[in-house]
Amino acid sequence: MTFDDSKLRKAVERVAQAPVPADVHASLFEAGVVDSFGLVELVAELEAAFGISVADEEMLPSRFETLARIAELVRSKVG
Amino acid sequence: MASVLGFACHLPERRVGNGELADLLGVDPAWIDQACGIQERRYAAEGESVVDLAEQAARKCLAASGLEPGDLGAIIVGTGTPQRPFPGVSASLQQRLGNAGAFAFDIHLASVGGLAGLGIACDLCPRLGPTLVVAAEIMSRPVRSHPARETTILFGDGAGACLVHPGPGPLAVVDWRMGSDGAFAEDLSMAWDGPLAMKGRTVILQAVRKLQGTVRASCAAAGWDLAAVDLFLFHQANLNLLLQVAKGLGLAEAQVFTNIGRLGNTSAASVLIAAAEAQDQGLLGPGRRIAMAGFGAGFTWGSLLLEGR
Repeated sequence: MTFDDSKLRKAVERVAQAPVPADVHASLFEAGVVDSFGLVELVAELEAAFGISVADEEMLPSRFETLARIAELVRSKVG
Repeated sequence: MASVLGFACHLPERRVGNGELADLLGVDPAWIDQACGIQERRYAAEGESVVDLAEQAARKCLAASGLEPGDLGAIIVGTGTPQRPFPGVSASLQQRLGNAGAFAFDIHLASVGGLAGLGIACDLCPRLGPTLVVAAEIMSRPVRSHPARETTILFGDGAGACLVHPGPGPLAVVDWRMGSDGAFAEDLSMAWDGPLAMKGRTVILQAVRKLQGTVRASCAAAGWDLAAVDLFLFHQANLNLLLQVAKGLGLAEAQVFTNIGRLGNTSAASVLIAAAEAQDQGLLGPGRRIAMAGFGAGFTWGSLLLEGR
């Protein structure tokens, strides 16, 4: 599987509680896209959408704060 | 492995609803319910101590089991809110129970203190004899001394207890395990008398993952299918957290015991209080499979399986 930016955005939109910012460096937390519990759902959504597994030590909010950070994590796993 | 003779709990009388906290915090009462699923919690009375709560739960547990304080080989108290650095709540409890000679010590873990005490008692009681495990907390004082929306809404006071026996008993302990990761020590912490510092997003992310992992590991070790577990007794941290954990494990609503709406998060005491209430409701009878699990400061997490005999 190769990395797909639009696929990532769609995965985030499926669990989003507010519009996903166009700026990939904007904070999804400050924009109200995901709260603490939405973050758990976001990780599950990413794992399902990209067929990846997020390790316990990667379960840190900073890894999921922006689309760019999420893309970085997902890209490292899908090659 | 050891068995549990029974559980008991003691709850302070004062009930504190969301309206009272909403006034203190300047929030809508409905927001509190939405944020954590709690409508009410109990607060200890002024002058009531952690030892007072612990003693009440301990005496109920002993009376129900037919054991006397002199029969105990050890007393373990789990608490994150002791009255002083040392000696522990266990020493004061032992003084009141009057069973000098038994080994009494505290486990200074917060939310998993009761569960850890129960697990450790399983390994300790074959050597020392019947072991009383008590977990007691008065979290209301630090969180009211330092009001904060994210934390003050969560906590209530209370105590739970259980008796662990080295031989056969009504609830056989099938598996127990604990783990910690000190890298997260500063993500959930409290100085003496507060404030409670909590990085909510990190706590939630790690709690969901660790709770699911430890439950899966315990059940796999016991050869239990998750669907065949009759009751899950999780640390009552936040209803939304419990629902996330249950969803990830694919559990049915009927499998998950909750009392957080009435009692809030009683930290170390919560799983023992939940077990006592489940026992009183006839949910821990013969043939029943019960999974207990908790997560808290440290981070520390763990699980313990019981089977009714």
